[in-house]
Formats: sequence, C-alpha cells, structure tokens
Amino acid sequence: MTEDLVRDVLRITDWGIFAYFIALNSSYLVLMVLAGLEFIRHLRRIPFAGADDMFRSPLTLPVSVIVPAHNEGAGIVAAVQAMTALRYPRFEVVVVDDGSSDDTFELLRRKFDLVEVPRVVPGEVPYRSQVLSVHVARDNPEVLTVVRKTNGGKSDALNVGINLARHPLICMVDADSVLDPDALLSVAKPFGDDPLRVAACGGVVRIANGCKVVGGRVVDVRMPRRWLVRIQVVEYLRAFLMGRTGWSRLGGLVVISGAFGVFRRDLVVKVGGMAHDTIGEDAELVVRLHHYLRERGDDYRVVFVAEPVSWSEAPSTWSVLGRQRRRWHRGIAEILSKHRRMIGNPRYGRIGLLALPYYVAFELLAPFVELAALVLLPLGLWVGAVDVEFAWKFALAAYGYGLLVSLVSLFIEEVSFHRYRRWSDLLRGVLAAIGENFGYRQVLAVWQVRGAVGAWRGGQAVWGTMERQGFETVAADAGERPVNPAAPPMETVGLHPPTRG
Amino acid sequence: MSDLFEITLIVLAAVVVGMTAGIVVVRLARHVRESRRAALAAGPRRALLAFVADNGETGGDELVAIGDDAWSAAEPAALSLLGKLRGEAHLGLVSVFLRRGTARAALRDLRSRSAVRRARAAQILGDLELRQAVPDLCRLLTDRHSEVRVVAVRALGRIGDPAAAWRLIASLDQPDQVPSLLVTHTLVQLGPETEVTLSAALDHPEARVRVVCLDALGLLGAAGSLPRVSRVLREDPVPEVRVSAAASLGRFGTRSAVEPLTAALAPARPTELRAAAARALGDLGSPTAVPALIELVHDDAYRVAHEAAQALRRLGPAGLRALQELLDEEANRARANGIGAHARPSSGVAHAREALALAAITSPGRLVTTA
Repeated sequence: MTEDLVRDVLRITDWGIFAYFIALNSSYLVLMVLAGLEFIRHLRRIPFAGADDMFRSPLTLPVSVIVPAHNEGAGIVAAVQAMTALRYPRFEVVVVDDGSSDDTFELLRRKFDLVEVPRVVPGEVPYRSQVLSVHVARDNPEVLTVVRKTNGGKSDALNVGINLARHPLICMVDADSVLDPDALLSVAKPFGDDPLRVAACGGVVRIANGCKVVGGRVVDVRMPRRWLVRIQVVEYLRAFLMGRTGWSRLGGLVVISGAFGVFRRDLVVKVGGMAHDTIGEDAELVVRLHHYLRERGDDYRVVFVAEPVSWSEAPSTWSVLGRQRRRWHRGIAEILSKHRRMIGNPRYGRIGLLALPYYVAFELLAPFVELAALVLLPLGLWVGAVDVEFAWKFALAAYGYGLLVSLVSLFIEEVSFHRYRRWSDLLRGVLAAIGENFGYRQVLAVWQVRGAVGAWRGGQAVWGTMERQGFETVAADAGERPVNPAAPPMETVGLHPPTRG
Repeated sequence: MSDLFEITLIVLAAVVVGMTAGIVVVRLARHVRESRRAALAAGPRRALLAFVADNGETGGDELVAIGDDAWSAAEPAALSLLGKLRGEAHLGLVSVFLRRGTARAALRDLRSRSAVRRARAAQILGDLELRQAVPDLCRLLTDRHSEVRVVAVRALGRIGDPAAAWRLIASLDQPDQVPSLLVTHTLVQLGPETEVTLSAALDHPEARVRVVCLDALGLLGAAGSLPRVSRVLREDPVPEVRVSAAASLGRFGTRSAVEPLTAALAPARPTELRAAAARALGDLGSPTAVPALIELVHDDAYRVAHEAAQALRRLGPAGLRALQELLDEEANRARANGIGAHARPSSGVAHAREALALAAITSPGRLVTTA
C-alpha cells in the first residue's frame, strides 16, 4: 500500500518535473522570438537611427560614467583610457578606487597626472565609507575624476560615484569592461528619443575571453579557447542578449547589468542609490525603480539595447565560476525576498504580475527542480514508478528542448549581429550548446542552490576572487601595462546580474 | 502516451537538425550576398571617391550612368558621404542623387504604408537638404509612428528652412510628442530667423513648448528676446520653465541679464531655480554678479552653494578674488577664536576651496593671492 503510494507520488512528481522543463524552455523560446523580432526592427532602423546627429547635437544629455575599482591595477589604465576615448559629445569618467591594496590609484595618478582637489561630496545618496581624496586629470579635469575611499564594497563605491557625478545620466561600468566605441551613444539614445519616459537603459554584455583587444577596443571577436567559457558564450547569448531583449519588448525588464547600464541620476537619488544589503545591487536598483515609479503612477520605461556592447571577462575555471554563480543566485533570492510584496501584486503591473513571478518560478526555483530531477528520476526507476523507456525519453526531451533553445539563440545571433565570423567559431558554438547539457548545467544547479540557501540563511556574502586570464591584448602604447595572463588572483567587486533568462 | 512521446522526440530532433542547418544556410547566404554586393559596389565607390576628391567638378555623369544594381550596392556609402561633405562637393553629390531620381522616389515614399520606408525617405530628403520637401516633412510631424516623426524633425533641421518653425513648435503640443531636445536642436539649426516665432511662443499654454523655445532662444543667443525671457523668469508658474529661462539668459551674454538673474537667487525661490540662476550668472561673465554669488557660497543647499562657487570661478579674477577673500576671512576668524588650523571649515569654505583648486588647474595664470 505504502509502496504504491510512493510509486504514485514519484510518477506524478516526475511528470510534474517534465512539464516544468517544457514550460521553462518554452518561456525561453517565447523570449527569443520576441528578441528576434526586436533585432529585425532594430536592424531595419539603423539607416535612420540618427547616431551621428546625436553625436553632433549640443543638447545630447551628458553622462557620468561611474567605474568602481578594487585592486584593478592589471587593467585599470587601459580601461580608463578606452572609456575617456568613447564617442560621445559630453561625458565624464568617475573612477572610485574602493580601498585598493594594489597600485590601482598609483597607476592612474602617474598615467593621467592626477591632481588632488578638495571636492565637496554631497550626501544625496548614503555611503558608509570615508572618502579620502578626490583627484582630477591635470590636462582634462572636466573629463576624469578619481576618488579614493576606504573599502566599502561595490554598492558603496557606486554611491560615492553617484554623489560626485555632475551629469543628469549616470552609466555604471565595471572596471574590467571593454566598451565598443559607440556603446555610450547607443545606450543613452533611448533617453534622447523618449526623454519623458525612459528611466533606465541596459546594454548587452558579451564575453571578451579569446577576443583580440587593441587600445582598449575589441577588434576581433573570437570564441574562447576553453570549453567552459565557450559554454558561457552560448549562455550569455541566450540569457543576456535574447532574454533581456525579450523582457524589454514585453515591458518587464528587471535586470540591468552592473557591468553596463545607464540611469537617470535624479531617479537613482530619489530611490536612495544602491542598496548596501544585497549582493545583487544592480538588479535590486532596477526593481526598486519599478517599485518607486509604479507607486507614483508614472508612465515610464526601462529598456535594453542589444548593440553595441560591453565586453567582459568570464570565469575560466570551475572554482571561480562556482563562486560567481553562487553570488548571482544569492542576489536573485535576496531581491525576490526583499521585494516579495511586489510579486503577484497587480499594483505593479507587468513587473508584479509577470516578470517577478517568472523570476520566482523559472529563475530562483529552476536549479532546485533540476537537482530534484537528477535525484527523483533514478529513484522513480529504482522503485518502479517509471520505466526505463520513460526515463531516457524524459531526459532526451528535456535536454533536447534545452539544446533547441540554445540553437535558436545561435540562429538569431547569426541572422542579426553575427559577431563570430569564423566557421570554426560557429561549430564551437553549436558544440558548446550540446556540451552544456552534460555536466555544466547540473554542476551549475548545485552552486545556484547553495547561493539561494545562503541568502535564506542570512549572513555576510563573500565576494571571493576572480582570476583574470586577460584578453589577447595589444597595448596602445609602450608605457601601458598589458593585461597579464599570469596575473595573480585578485579581489573583484565585479558582479553580473543574477539571471538565467 | 508513449507514441506521443516518440512523435515529440522525432519532431524535436528534426527541428534541432533543421536549426543547425538553418544557421549554416544563413551564413552561406550572407557570405554570397556580401561578396556580390562588394563586387558590385567596388566600381561605383571608386567613382564616388574620385568625384568627391575632385570637389564634385567632374565625374557626375559617370555616377549617373551607373546601373541600378551597382548603385544600390554603393548607395549606403554615398548617403553616408552626403552627411560628411560640405560646399561644392556636397552640392555636386546632391545633384547626382537628384539626377538619379532619388529625391523623387523619396518624396513618393513619404506616403508609403510602411513606417520604415517613410522614415528612410525622410532621412534621405534631409541628407539631400531638399527645401521642396519641407511641407511633406512637416506633415510627417504628426505621423502615427514616433520614429517617423523623429526622423522628420531631424530632416527639417538639416534642411534649415525657418518656415518649419511653427509646425515644429506645434508638434510639441500633441498627445504623442516628439522629443523636446531634438526639436530644440532643430529649431536652432533653422537659424536666427526663427527668433520672432520662438519669442511669440513663450506665451504658449503648454509648459513644454515654452521650455523648448527658451532653450532654443538661449542657444541662438537671441538677446533681442531678453525682456520677454526675463518676464518668464519672473512670472511663469512652472518652476522648470523658469529654470530654462535662467539658463537662456546666461547664454545671452549681455550685462542686462544680471538683474533678473540676481533677483532669481532670492532664498524664497526653488532650489533648482537658484542653482540655475547662479550657473547662468557664471556663464554671463559679468563681475557685477560677484557680491550676489559670494553670499550664495554659504547656502545650505549643496547645489546652490556649489553652482555659486563654480560661477565665481568662471567669472575670472574678480570671482577668484572674492573666493580667496572668503577663505582669508574664515582663517582670520578662526585665528581670532584661537582655533587655528584645527577649525572645522564651513560648507562655504569647502566650496570656495574646491573652486579655487579647480581654477589652479584650469587657468593657473588667473589665480589671485591675497594676504
């Protein structure tokens, strides 16, 4: 009797898990179709997009690019040089050295001939640490500001940067990011096109590993050498490029990457800046903006632009990837817990009724279901709840559908932006999409579960270390220190948004 | 159930294989298309570059004689050249486009059912700076697609016909508006002849329209509108409009703007307005604003004090001297109270120090020192 009951429960559970996988991948597919439509729309409009007019207009909204940096000595000079050379009519770069123990500041001081200025730091958004000094470039004081402060974490560094930002738009960029020359023009354009409604705009983040970087610019896009990173390339295409474009089209974008996003400064100040109490501060800010603007009844938009892009280095070892994914999932759990009142609440429109419930069902819970399938399916086989035929067909259908979703993302990328020009890279992309299902997803699920459990148990989140492997870099000038493939492990404050889709 | 499973798996496998094949086919097709277009465009591109290098004097007939296929492959490059050229070369290339019937086709496409075609046509007509297209482009200012309206506004700016000013201003007062900053830029591109129209629109009931006109007047440096702009600064019920009025007065660069701007610094006025007025006084460059600004450096509102100190910096020697005197007075007071160097500086002192430090970097020769 009990055995029958157990068998029935396991059978129903296995079918439930199967239905969950179908629903999960179908939701990805819907987002991708929406993204594909958006890309077609975008590409047809390039001839009259008006980027040059925006560049020439004296009225284009100026931007403050805020770059939090903690022990980024290996690449900070090249990064700042590239950022100050971005194609945009009026902008400033504010580097916030968050208590680095390496030579981050010294390198900047030497390269840009920094001069200390007694800047008054307004307390428009709260910060916990102490600002030690503010410096500007002697030759270009309006364009480059470097702030030294005691270590307080990424949120705290960003809040100091927001306080010192002089322009109406703020762009948050990771110190290890490499931006396309027109990236700032593209990501700020929605604010010019729809100034009354656009509150924030995210830019796409792609993986720079394997790419050739010259003078702080990605000049040759290639697939990374390691399979672990190749799989992440496919993952980024599916989740960051397609997923967020799809959500943007649906009006439900809740994640803008801290590695590359632009916000209206006045709104960020009104909501109190970056939160100190979550590890996913970038996504949390977007959810808080939604919360604030919905409660005010404002007509607003949070949008995403798919091109050009910010390039970022992805983890190339399992241990670093594990720490990153634990952090990301911990971030999701913290944000959903903090804003649980919004979930399913019609007052918050599509965010409350669609986006956040989706994040609970298909982002937060996905690794739990994945692991449950790995345990319950063999268990069902063992007790005879399901037969072998069901088991292998289940696995084939669930993972086959996942593979299809990845291939669709590669197809859309090929039709739209086709950044990977080599046939060999295309083949590697397809193989990575297949390989993702054999071990990668399962190991990822374990880390993600640990991240979520860590959030629910509370306690201080740990950033861990990021071993920079470096890009294939050609230094712009002889005095510049190239990114060293053998660089020692470094602390990083870099955080990608916690999302799968 | 098992059959359904099998059918699903077969369909799934077929789609996976199809998708993989699709990726390969797309790449092959693009490769073939790009190679063909590159080959077709190579000749016309050489002819275009030679034509431009010769300042449009010779080679026009050859460009007109190029076949449609080859021209269509080279047209994007030719259109992008249009935006970069000036003078004779620009006129010569425009003439080539006109002789090839591009303008005629674009005028026809302005009435297309496709929003993309309408927007592309408007872009081309703007690039060609075709005055006869202005009425049709003005009609597009009320197009149902926002992107078409945006391109029409930009095209009108490129053409620069002041007759479009009223229609542009009217386009701001509709339910689904065109972006304010874009209209402002376009109005400025139409030139000083629009001043009368802009000045008249300062009485428009819609605040957004008044802001755009004020910004455009400021950028045009239309000092003849000073009395009307001063009245807006004094009397307009909407704070944002008064902030724009202050900024415009600062751009006029005339000494008579000091009085209305100084009046806007009064403590009872909104913080944003006071900060904007302080900034504008710095832009004006008149030393008569120094006494009013130095008082503001002690203001409790960060933005007001900051803008006042920075305005004094931009005013040059008179402003810098006032900032230095403020520091000296504070130091003397601290010494008199026996606190000396350990005194905690007031916020006014902090703002003054910041401005002076920046002045030491940006214009070290203008720094003043006092006892």
